[in-house]
Parts: sequence; C-alpha cells; structure tokens
Amino acid sequence: MNVLSYKKNRMSTLPSKRDRASALPYKGGRYLRYLLPLGVLGVLTWLSSMVCHTNWASLAKGIHESLPYFKNLLAPDWSALSSLLKPALDSVLIALVGTFAGTLIAVFFALSAASNVAPRPVRFIVRALMGIERALPEIVILLFLVAAFGMGPFSGVLSLTIGCVGMLGKLLADAIEELDPVYIESMEAVGARKVQVLFFGVIQPIVPTIVSYGLFRFEMSIRLSIVLGAVGAGGIGMELYRAFSLYEYPRASMALLLILVLVFLSERGAAYLRKKYFT
Amino acid sequence: MIEVRHICKTLPGGRRVLDDLSFTVRKGEFVGVLGASGAGKTLTLRCLNGLLKPDSGSILIALPGGGVEDICKVPSRKLRQIRQRIGVVFQGYHLVKRLTVLENVLVGRLGQISTFRSLIYGFKDKEAEEAVAALEKVKVAHLAGARVSSLSGGEMQRVAIARAIFQNPHLLLADEPISNLDPSNAKVIMRLIRPLCEEMPVIGVFHQPEMTAKYCTRIIAIKEGRIVYDGQPVLTQEQLIDIYGEELRQIENHNHERPVL
Amino acid sequence: MNAVPGYTLPSIKYKQKATIATAVAFVFVGLCVAMGFDPALLFTEFHYVRDLAGSMTPPNFKVFWSDAGIYMAIAESLCMAFLGTLLGGLGGLALAFGSAGPTMPWKGVRMVCRGILTLLRVIPTLILILIFVVSVGIGPFSGVLTLLLATIGGFGQLFTQVIEQAEPKPLEAVYSVGASRVQVIRFGLWPQVLPSFIANMFYAYDVNLRAGIGLGIFGGGGVGFQLFMAIRLLHYKEAFALICVTVVLIVLMEKASDLLRTSLLQKNL
Repeated sequence: MNVLSYKKNRMSTLPSKRDRASALPYKGGRYLRYLLPLGVLGVLTWLSSMVCHTNWASLAKGIHESLPYFKNLLAPDWSALSSLLKPALDSVLIALVGTFAGTLIAVFFALSAASNVAPRPVRFIVRALMGIERALPEIVILLFLVAAFGMGPFSGVLSLTIGCVGMLGKLLADAIEELDPVYIESMEAVGARKVQVLFFGVIQPIVPTIVSYGLFRFEMSIRLSIVLGAVGAGGIGMELYRAFSLYEYPRASMALLLILVLVFLSERGAAYLRKKYFT
Repeated sequence: MIEVRHICKTLPGGRRVLDDLSFTVRKGEFVGVLGASGAGKTLTLRCLNGLLKPDSGSILIALPGGGVEDICKVPSRKLRQIRQRIGVVFQGYHLVKRLTVLENVLVGRLGQISTFRSLIYGFKDKEAEEAVAALEKVKVAHLAGARVSSLSGGEMQRVAIARAIFQNPHLLLADEPISNLDPSNAKVIMRLIRPLCEEMPVIGVFHQPEMTAKYCTRIIAIKEGRIVYDGQPVLTQEQLIDIYGEELRQIENHNHERPVL
Repeated sequence: MNAVPGYTLPSIKYKQKATIATAVAFVFVGLCVAMGFDPALLFTEFHYVRDLAGSMTPPNFKVFWSDAGIYMAIAESLCMAFLGTLLGGLGGLALAFGSAGPTMPWKGVRMVCRGILTLLRVIPTLILILIFVVSVGIGPFSGVLTLLLATIGGFGQLFTQVIEQAEPKPLEAVYSVGASRVQVIRFGLWPQVLPSFIANMFYAYDVNLRAGIGLGIFGGGGVGFQLFMAIRLLHYKEAFALICVTVVLIVLMEKASDLLRTSLLQKNL
C-alpha cells in the first residue's frame, strides 16, 4: 500500500532541476547528500546505546556464563508432555475465542466508525475509543484485567478481544470507507430497510476482507496468547514462564517445543484457509 | 407513468446542475437520455429514484394500485415502498460478487420481505423459482448457481436486468447499462431492455447516440442541466454537435454533410 | 423447478446453513466450557471493574514531579524500540537479501538464511526475553536484544517477499546492457524495493514501541517495567497516570513516524 502511494507521488511530481542534476551523473559526489541523514542516524544510535546501557561484551560474557544452564534447554523432558497438552490447548482456545469474538465485535465498531455509514458524533467517539485500544499493548490491558477479574483464561480472552477490536475495527472501518458507494445505493434503490442495506450492501461485499484480516489476527493472537499467559492468562505461556523461573529447564524446553509447533501449525493453518477461501 | 415537473438542483459549490427539467414518460416508451459527461443525465436519473432530492419541483409517479405520489415530498418510509417497485440497472452492474447469481437476483425483493426473514431465514422456494424465471427472460438461467465473480461483463449486466425484472417494477431506470460492454453484448442488452417498455416506462442514460437512436422510442438530450431536445430518435450531426460540443466536429469533419442517425 | 439444474433451492440451503451454524455453536460453547471461559462473568463480576476504576481515578500525575525516573523510563522505551528496529531491520535486510531468489544465486545459502528467518519468527519473544534477562540482567539492554531478534524474524520474511515480488523486467533491462549481478541489484532492484523497506522500518518502530512496553513487564526496562511495578504495589492511581503517558507517547510517535515517512518517501532517494 505504501509502495503504491509512493509511486503515485513520484509520478505526479515532475522532476525538479535539482533532481535531474543529481540523477544524471553517477559520480561519487551524488552520495554526499546521504552524509547528513546517516550522521543523524549515527548520533541517535550512539545516544540510544548510552540510554539502554548497551554492552555487547557483557552479552558475550553473559551468554558464555549461562550456557551451562541453557544447555538443558536442548534436552526436552518428554514425560512432561502429557501435563503440558492441556495448557497448550487452552492457549489455542484463548486465541481462537478472543479472535472470533473480537472480529465479530470489530465489525460493529467498524460500521459505527465508517464515515459513509455512521453519523459524525458516533463516529468520533468510536474512532477515539479504538485509538486508545490500539495504543495500549494487550499485555498492559491484561495487567488491569487481572487486577479486576483475577488470573485465568477469562482475562486473557477479554484482553485479546479488546486488542482485536482496536486493530480490526480500524482496518475494517477503512475498508468500508473505501467501498464503492454504489453498493449501498443499489440496495437503497430496491427499497431495502436500513439493516438490510447494512447487511447486503456493506457487510457482504467486505466479507473477504473480514476473513483475511481475521486470519491474520489469529496468527498474531496465538503469539500474543503465549506472552499473555505468562502475565496471568494461563495456558502454555504460563507453564513456560513458571518452569523457567523455577529453573526446570527440561520442562521449559518441552513447553518451548510445543509452542514452536503451535505457532508453526497456526501459520500453516491460516495460510491453508486463506488459500482455500480465496481460490 | 412518471411526470417530472420543473426540477432544479444546485450543488453546494453553487453550480446549477439541473435547471428546470420537465418531461413525462408513459408506458410503451423507451426513453434514451443523451448528453455530454457532467450534463446532468445521471443526476436526473438519481432524482427519479429518490436517491437525490431536487431543490424544487416535483416528480409524480403513478403507483400500480392507483394513485399518484410525489417522490420529492413523501416520507422516507413511503419512499422505500415506492422504490421497491422501481427497477434500477446501474452503470457497471453492482452485484455482490461473493453471492451466487440467484441470490443477487433475490436481493431485488429485499424491501418486500421482513428484515428478520432476509437476515436469518432467507428467501422462499417460490421466490427462487420466480427469480430463475426472470433469469430465463434474459437467457442466463443456466448460471443461476454460479458465483457472480466468475461471470463476464455482459452476463453480469444481464443478471442486473434480471434483478430489476424480478422486482416486478412499474418503472425501469438504467444508468449507462452498456458503457462497459463490447458492441455485440451492448446490442444484446438493448434488445433485452427494449421489450420491457411494453409493461412499464423505461428511462435509460446512454453514451452511444447510434445505439440509442436504434433501440429507443424517444430521445431526450440534456445540456448544462437543460433539455435541448425531446422527441423522435432521429438526430442530425449538427444536433449532436450542439449536445456534445464543438470537438465532435473536429474529429468527424469529413462527413458532417451526412446525417449520421 | 428442477428443470434448471445448478443451484440449490433456498429451503435446502437454509437447512444446510442451520445445521452448520448449530454444530459450530455447540463446538464453540463446548470449547469455552472446557477452557473455563464464561462470558457471563463479565456481567456478574462487573463490580470488580467498578472497584478498580474507583481506585484508579483520579490519576496521580504528581509522580512526574516527584520521580525523575519516569522520564528515564520513557527515554529507555523510545531508545529500546529505536535500536531494536535499526539493528534488527538491518539484520533482517541482510538475511532477506541472502534468502531471496533474485539476489542470492546459491541455493545452499538461501536455505540457511531462510531457516534462520523461520526459526527467529516462530521462537516466542517470551523465551527470548527470559533468556536475555538471565544472561545480561534486568534492564533495557535485554529488551533491545529481544526486539532485535524479533524484528529480524518478523520483517526479514516481509523483506524477502518484497524482493521476490519486485518487477523482473527492469532487472532484465539492466542485465541486457551487460551489467554485472551487483550492478543489476543496485540499479534494477534497489530502487524498486527501497521505498517499501523504509515504510516498513517505520512500521516496525511503531510495533516495537508497543512490544517494548510489553517486554518491560518481564524485566526489559522502560515504561512497561514502571507500570508493572505500580500495579504490583497496588499504586493504581500512578499506574493510571502511566497509562495516560503510554497512550500519548504511542499516538505521538505514530503521528511523527507517519509524517517523517511520507516526507522521506517523497524525496528522490
């Protein structure tokens, strides 16, 4: 998308005198103008390194010193597999339910945030709400939900749902706004009621968009559900975190292996569904 | 019958796009509306369907059950009821690409069934049979189960006409129905629309003067929001130049002696 | 009416749809029960949310005067995301050039690069941050390292796709005038893919800023760590103030990177 807008910009502006002058001779001097931006980038990098206490020597040393512990990560404890399957399933379910519910709610939010469907005051409020949801990482939302509802899958699902609504709501609202207005008009022209116009003239044409964003978000949710698990949503992330903190590296390694399989499978599954739906 | 009386429309920018248009179309007439781009053809059509409200004037429609309503004044609920019986064929066939041909035709009766039924239960078998009959009229019944995204342009436009027929309309509006089609497909579409005028007034907007002259029973030409010609489907080169502008003369200078239509 | 085959009668279609919908609903409810997720909790336990909201408001903005550490935390969050994006983006770029067909002629190298990218993509950030916290200690540096690897994994794949989807005709045009492989890449490919790289780097910065706040909770430093501590110590009013700061920070940085990106892409690079 960004590439396209870039190309449009390039084509719409005629080359200025300076551009032509700089484009013609391929001499070394042409690269001088990159000096200032690169310098700024260098200074910023140096400053950031100071702030972040970057110390690559300590990394090498730390890795070297902790290697004996992490060696255990290479030997998964297969006997722990049976006790880890249930948490793994929980993680998948948290992602699944969160994404499903979030996508459904996001459609309603998108409808009330699109300029060609919703009145101005509603639109403004819903857009602002989704903006805040998007600005807060899911994990931060989860911290508050855990404070309110306690640990467990309920908080996890809820935080994923909220994150999903914030993200997909905006994307879908944009998709609705880009919809050809004649879709809506052709429904109005046959005398359809408001709800029917929304369902057949707005939602039906963007179902492919909803599906593809939903699948994309599901892949994201799987990864998120693992991190969220460690903060209190339960599931395989929690098991990994606990095992790691208790230095039970073989068990942590088994959980890690399961997570890798999960993420890989979710990616494959989403790709398969996408292919199946769009061909 | 539809009667347009003195409708005017000024855009927010102050440009007058419709300037005191009046005409009457009866059953048995197939009116072709001609005019340069931006002359106000499509706007007129949108007014006839109530998608756009003119600033002044009135548009009277004879309802099938008897009685006459002014589209510009009716409340939105009544307007919806009137629209249920006005068939519209849009420029570029706006069908829902994901649904099947049959479902797209059925959508034509959305306004005539309850909201709950349209969202949950769907349509009845009897309605589906009627829809297939409408598709048969335009000779694409064999495609009833296909997805619209797999059709060609000519087939999509036929489905759009079937949807309008299925509405059981008492007025048919067509907004540039043949603009995106090749000449032979355009001919087929015009031949399909023409006989419909025996049951209802048909008003179409066209960009092809030859086609319009050949198939329509009457031509209305609009220029800068005013009617400049209204009558038999015979136009001379000079009249066409008056409608479309001087550039037409420069292009076809060599044969301006001959009446083209 | 079966004279015309090829479509399903609405009544049959409705029965199919109803069967599928019921089955899906049953499975879904079954899964929710199995997991222990009860949507009704949202309504029955809602008073907890009210209690929390009561203890959070009004936000305690006084911490910004009393505790200078918060400014340091904000700076840490910004710098973490910056370093992670820059180094990770460059690493991802290198690996992308190594794993894309048009730029890397040797299949073996391509396979290795692809393998590294896939591995980095599927490894969860959780385990990365845990490992780095153990080996270099709690602080922004471990956050930087985690973001770096996550960025390589996430955006290396994207860059590979961008390179492989580049228009092949300009490459052939440059190749046909007798240019070397490096010249083909420099003059045929690079101008095509550079805008996308830049745009995606800015996008990566936005993603990393958010991810960095999440990592703070596990010891990655920055605003996330402060927030986590405030909630753990039940200082909800301060936590709310920090939330406000986070939202403002992320929205501002998004706008800034948006502006910078568009102005950068309009230049003749």
